[in-house]
Amino acid sequence: MSVTVLEARGLSVSFASNVVLSDVDFRLGDGEIAVIEGPSGAGKSTLLRALASLEPITNGSLQLAGTPLDDLPPAVFRAAVAYIPQQPVMFDGSVADNLRAGPELRGETVDEARVGELLRLVGLAPDFAGRSARDLSGGEKQRVAIARALANDPRVVLFDEPTSALDPGSADAVLALIRATAGRGRAVAVVTHAREHADALGGQRYRCEAGKLSRLA
Amino acid sequence: MSYLDIEPWRLLIVFALVLASSWAVSWRAGLDLGRDLLVGLLRGAAQLFAVGYLLIVIFAQEGPGWVLVVLSVMLSVAAWTAARRVEHGPGARRLAPFALIAVAAGSGLALVPVFAIVVTPTPWFDGRHVIPISGIVVANAMNVVAQVNERIFASAHAERAEIEQWLALGASPKQALAGPSRRALRAALIPTINSLLTLGLVSLPGMMTGQIVSGVAPELAVRYQLVIMYQLVIVAAVSGSVAAALARRMLFTPGHQLRRHWP
Repeated sequence: MSVTVLEARGLSVSFASNVVLSDVDFRLGDGEIAVIEGPSGAGKSTLLRALASLEPITNGSLQLAGTPLDDLPPAVFRAAVAYIPQQPVMFDGSVADNLRAGPELRGETVDEARVGELLRLVGLAPDFAGRSARDLSGGEKQRVAIARALANDPRVVLFDEPTSALDPGSADAVLALIRATAGRGRAVAVVTHAREHADALGGQRYRCEAGKLSRLA
Repeated sequence: MSYLDIEPWRLLIVFALVLASSWAVSWRAGLDLGRDLLVGLLRGAAQLFAVGYLLIVIFAQEGPGWVLVVLSVMLSVAAWTAARRVEHGPGARRLAPFALIAVAAGSGLALVPVFAIVVTPTPWFDGRHVIPISGIVVANAMNVVAQVNERIFASAHAERAEIEQWLALGASPKQALAGPSRRALRAALIPTINSLLTLGLVSLPGMMTGQIVSGVAPELAVRYQLVIMYQLVIVAAVSGSVAAALARRMLFTPGHQLRRHWP
């Protein structure tokens, strides 16, 4: 069994009096892919956001490589656990500005060579660096969002419906990119409601329904 | 000191003329504002006369008690007004104490040096100086705090996805909210800067006009007005920054999550 990177035990999330996730156990190891399926409103996205520490946890625990969430500064946890929403928001400025955003928050610099390397990782040509990020197509934005997350060199990457807004060609490319991300030793969790995309990703399958998560054989 | 008196009958003529002309406009244009106009004109007059008589009583006092009461009422009303009608905010009751801190911080920082060094009333609680000058400064702080609150809470709502994207990359709440905070502060400072730039060119400021009309030498009126205008810059910067910092505290949980609900 691989080394556990992200682990949730008895995780519950409530919005006011509405219980959205209840008693969820989830484990993700280095280089593993977990695919979470389920109907709309089942709590899949909330689970991913809770794993990214973007939603307050009502009950239970979340650990990064054995360290409880509460013992880590939020910025350190989030640099290690990347989260890419369904429709990533591009920040003002160029693609290169977007790729530099994460490291620059910590005062680190990202040189041109690293920008080129990140673009190559997500299958974009070097000349994308200077383009206005907000003017890209949906598929290109999704790739830039992945590259922007990878710039932080995270141990875990969480994808929320990464293919839902893409045409079939772009979706296949993004799926290949997700598999490659796990291939480089990162732990990856993907929320999707497209069965064929879940099949294409492989890995451990989970089903989320009415706020409960079950592991499929 | 020479000034022209306004006898009550002259004031009544103004009242009747304004009421008749505005009522006519409202009636012709079908605005249905006649009743509101009448209430507004009467209420405005009643409030001002009440304040005028209150000031006569306060100016005659020999202790600081009443001046401090007036300043406290001023600050409380300003804070409550700045906390009201903030869409997407946590509600006036929750916001008001924070608005009070922001209004008081800016006003205090602007007023204490003025009364200590520039306009030094004798005794220090002389209502004739302390109340009107404080009123101008507190009113400006109120507008700045209201504007900063309104803009920051609205941005946090409208730009939720972007702010959370910053958080997801490891930004602190301060970093994630930097854009909306900067825009809110700029917007709150611009009216004060504009009025500095056009000072005396577009219109004579209210305080200076009042002093000149009541017989004060224009040169002295100018000096008073300049002191006030400079203090308004401090108020806008300090009250605005404090309001922005406090709004940020309210917007994020201790775990640096952007709140969806207010506790």
